[in-house]
Amino acid sequence: MNQTASSPVVELRHVSKWYGDVVAVADLSFELYPGITGLLGPNGAGKTTTLKAITGLLQPSQGEVLLFGRPLIGDPMLYRAIGVVPDGDRLYPRLTVRSYARLHAELQGLEHPAAAADEAIARVGMEALASRRLSGLSKGERQRTKVAGAIVHQPSLLILDEPMTGMDPGQRARFIELVRALGQAGVTVLVSSHILGEVERLATQILVLVGGRLAASGDFHAIRDLMADQPRTVVVEASGARQLAAGLITMPTTVAVEVDGDRMQARTRSVEAFATELPRLAQEQGVSLREVRTTDESLEQVFRYLVGRR
Amino acid sequence: MRRAWVVCRHALGQLLSGRRLLVIVLLTAIPLLLPAMLFAARGEGDAADFSLGLFRNLVLPVLLPVVSLAFATHALGAEVRDGTATNLLLKPIPRAAILAAEYLAAVLAALVVLLPLVAASQVIAGSAGSSSSLLVGSLAATTVGALVYGALGLLLSLFIGRALLVGLVYTVLWEGALVSVAPSASSLAVRGYAEGVLAAVTAQDGPAVSARLGPVSAIVMAAVVTLLALVFATRRLSRMDIR
Repeated sequence: MNQTASSPVVELRHVSKWYGDVVAVADLSFELYPGITGLLGPNGAGKTTTLKAITGLLQPSQGEVLLFGRPLIGDPMLYRAIGVVPDGDRLYPRLTVRSYARLHAELQGLEHPAAAADEAIARVGMEALASRRLSGLSKGERQRTKVAGAIVHQPSLLILDEPMTGMDPGQRARFIELVRALGQAGVTVLVSSHILGEVERLATQILVLVGGRLAASGDFHAIRDLMADQPRTVVVEASGARQLAAGLITMPTTVAVEVDGDRMQARTRSVEAFATELPRLAQEQGVSLREVRTTDESLEQVFRYLVGRR
Repeated sequence: MRRAWVVCRHALGQLLSGRRLLVIVLLTAIPLLLPAMLFAARGEGDAADFSLGLFRNLVLPVLLPVVSLAFATHALGAEVRDGTATNLLLKPIPRAAILAAEYLAAVLAALVVLLPLVAASQVIAGSAGSSSSLLVGSLAATTVGALVYGALGLLLSLFIGRALLVGLVYTVLWEGALVSVAPSASSLAVRGYAEGVLAAVTAQDGPAVSARLGPVSAIVMAAVVTLLALVFATRRLSRMDIR
């Protein structure tokens, strides 16, 4: 695709989509550049609608979607540069893994479809199952087959809608490795997931959709900074958790403390002050600390905060 | 063009595989071949009259619309509804080409089932040897009917979920009941176009076939209805949201 380095690969300008009185997404505007971007949001937030608007499966009720600076509607040749893993189980059950990947290669008009299919199958780690029918595969294996079909023509834009659904931990790790490699190779990847930990492992850039609107976008840490004045959670495992709690609750920055046996969960406005005071108190009281960790660095916490902030 | 051919080949493979094909072939073959075999075994009566009667009373009003609509409504509409159409629509192929390829596949699938069985029934009954124009006319009429029903079935399937049922209701109510009481309605009946083609081909040396439409009217109307259905189907596919 002819593009300058600074021009966005995907650009949404005030995109809205509604069905009758129901608004699926409202006034979405954002740009995507090479690298991996995560699309986050609870069920019904409008993630799939957004991805379908980008891939041309839905026509926006209002606004404009540009891919490589051009509208996709009426320009199907743009699909040469786009790979899509749609939501749901949209496969032909009687095809084998190899024939499915080859079908995608042929539909893309590749010169050597068989070789391209085999390469894509190898990239998703499905070589051993290449001759198996899709109807006989597990959900995770079918997801990987869909990914093979989406990358068979080496697209420069890859759209993945809940791609890790049904994958086991090993498959997820391999998939994340593959997507990271694509992102590092300059492919623009947009990946949606409702499992926030997955996106956190994949993407540094995120878009957060809540109720069909863009609640936040940008670098994960920048969004985390939005929470700077929000209490953060620290989990402490210690032999005398109750004693520690009594000391910590007197700190002016401590919001709340819950104790359950040897486990204490504290909410504090200053992790730094907490981190200074906790070992001092533990030493003073003769308590041994087994584990100290913050939990709200995760996207889950960011997401909950953003949802609650609206 | 090469990509559209891949779509057609893939769609044909999907239509002509699995239990659906077996059911359609059996439901077509049994009522078509069994009477022909019984007639041949009896060895009495005029073979051409028998074959013509079988074609006009069974193939044209029942088997041709059922088989053609079954394939056409399953070709693209079902794929759009179950989501598998995204595998085709998210490719560098104009939607008009995808629709044309699916249409061609649906018509070919119907003809692959119907033409050999229609020919076989006439060969078994013994009419194929005595009246080759009846055989040719039957095959031509079947082809014209499959082309028109295929386009209508494809169009219906892009608008409604129960396209096959609606198509069959049309054939029963409009082509069966209404045309019998108001013959002018046959200008908007696929069966009327097929009968017009059959009558034209058998006019020279075959059995006498009465048809309400002449050959030119039948072919022109068949072409117009087919083209209109495909144009509307293309517009629908180009503008519809795939959910």
